[in-house]
Amino acid sequence: MIVTAQKPLDEVLDFISPYSNILIAGCDGCTQPPRGLREAKTLSQLLELGGRLRNKNFNFKVVTAAKQCDSYLTASMLKPQIEGVDTVLSLACGIGVQTIAELFPELPVFPAQNTHFMGAEEREAGTLEERCSACGDCILAVSGGICPVTRCAKGLLNGACGGARNGKCEMDPAKDCAWELIFQRLEKQDKLDLLREFRPPRNYQLRAWRLTV
Amino acid sequence: MSGQVTEQRVALELNEEHCGNCSICSSLCPFEAIRRDAETGKTFLDIEKCQVCGICYSACPAKAIDIIYYDSGSLLKYLERAKQEYDSDTLVIMCKGSSPDFMGVERLFGVSKFIPLSVPCVGRISEEIFLKAIVMGINKIYVLACDEDYCRFERGSPITERRILALDLLLEQLGYGKEVIILKRNSLKVKVDTNMCIACGNCVFYCPYDAAKLESPGVVSFDLDSCRGCGLCVAMCPALALDLENWERERISTLISQLSAEMKPPKILVFRCQWAVFRPVDEKSVPNIRFIDLPCASRVDLSHILEAFQQGIDGVLVAACAEEDCKQERASGKAQHSVTVLRERLSQIGFQDRLHFCFVAPRYPEEFDNEVEQFGQKIGAFGSKERK
Repeated sequence: MIVTAQKPLDEVLDFISPYSNILIAGCDGCTQPPRGLREAKTLSQLLELGGRLRNKNFNFKVVTAAKQCDSYLTASMLKPQIEGVDTVLSLACGIGVQTIAELFPELPVFPAQNTHFMGAEEREAGTLEERCSACGDCILAVSGGICPVTRCAKGLLNGACGGARNGKCEMDPAKDCAWELIFQRLEKQDKLDLLREFRPPRNYQLRAWRLTV
Repeated sequence: MSGQVTEQRVALELNEEHCGNCSICSSLCPFEAIRRDAETGKTFLDIEKCQVCGICYSACPAKAIDIIYYDSGSLLKYLERAKQEYDSDTLVIMCKGSSPDFMGVERLFGVSKFIPLSVPCVGRISEEIFLKAIVMGINKIYVLACDEDYCRFERGSPITERRILALDLLLEQLGYGKEVIILKRNSLKVKVDTNMCIACGNCVFYCPYDAAKLESPGVVSFDLDSCRGCGLCVAMCPALALDLENWERERISTLISQLSAEMKPPKILVFRCQWAVFRPVDEKSVPNIRFIDLPCASRVDLSHILEAFQQGIDGVLVAACAEEDCKQERASGKAQHSVTVLRERLSQIGFQDRLHFCFVAPRYPEEFDNEVEQFGQKIGAFGSKERK
């Protein structure tokens, strides 16, 4: 899932202050927790209260799209609501914001979220952790299902670097050494010989320019 | 703190002078709060374990137990007054755990005019109350108890059933006719709007009873036999696809507007778990404070708190059971977490001090009153500052 965090309300209020009729567009897609109808409604309530402090009255409409990155679905949900709207506030990741901006080029579209990374949620702990960097050249098959590009601070393809202490990264002792995890995993699978293979540097061109697949 | 606790007034007391150590109370107590000391043979009360269900009070043959809430005297006084007020000779006794709104009662029993009596567990209503009500001229009593497996006090609902069986037989023999007292069971359940469900799985994670199932592909489905109606999933659903039967979001919103309109500033709205705070049947209303009782603090919808602020309410207090007292599993801790998260967001617009969360228990009646008073003073101070 794509992990986002709410922007500070003041920043969002600054965005929308010049406008009165605001459409808040939720996204039911891959963010966790989903920033769907409830978050759209909650945000409208918080912004209304915040607006009062600035002597500003907003009219909010709330809507949600199944996934804002799908321009067809997003258009079908937003178009019936767009009349009379001065600006759209999107609760999606950066992709959703851009989809709406493309759909309604005449309207300013603002993000209500900061998009952080692609990650997984540890439900009990309530934490979200980055797991994939979208490098375009997946090596999970030979790294025991653990991504060193994302989880090794140095992004090494031929680890470990030797700097880890007690299984923790020398860059951040709060984080596990990804290569130690890979070693343990491969050991369990009796596949340690995979570590003998040398992996040439990644093809950074895959990330250097926007790609279409 | 512990020094303070021992001096507090407690909701239930055992009067040793009257106690005959007959063991009825200790055999009925669902929480092992009343026990008999093996060595001395004396009955004693461990108030920390007591959930104030009142089952012991209703069953004690020696009247050796004193209880603060819903004691026979105040119940009978209420009935006498309410009989006039509601101008009815039909009484409906509802357990809060299973109570729908009044409209729901109409549907369930087919009665439109009745004297309502809502109590935490009907198991606390002794035979004496039923009989005195009939002496008072009440000729039909409907009892709404929780489905047996859902009784929050475990034994309250089965005890009620036995009492009613015996009472109905007795009344028939006395010539009052058949089925003067009628028992119905109910329990609150979640309902899902499958058109709104986005299949995110939040309810599957949050449900303490594994009632929610999400199989791919599809929308969520609930095993209603497992659902205990706490409302946690409803409060956590990001798509507003869930609701709690008879405690619908809309209904609570309407109530907030109504209450806000009748209050005087500084307006304080209290969302309280109905197991955390018990109130007298004739609770006096203060012009600036109103209460909304919920089946569990986890049903507190953050949007309802925000709605209250939007409606001009100055302060919102959420009262929950401590986690070890929670009548639902793990739910009150979740409520605290949600309120903390909302407070953090409210702090960005300077509203954080207008929202307060507290853990209280009915065993210490003053705990809740103190929280309300302190919060009221704080909110009152804001008001006077603003007026200046």
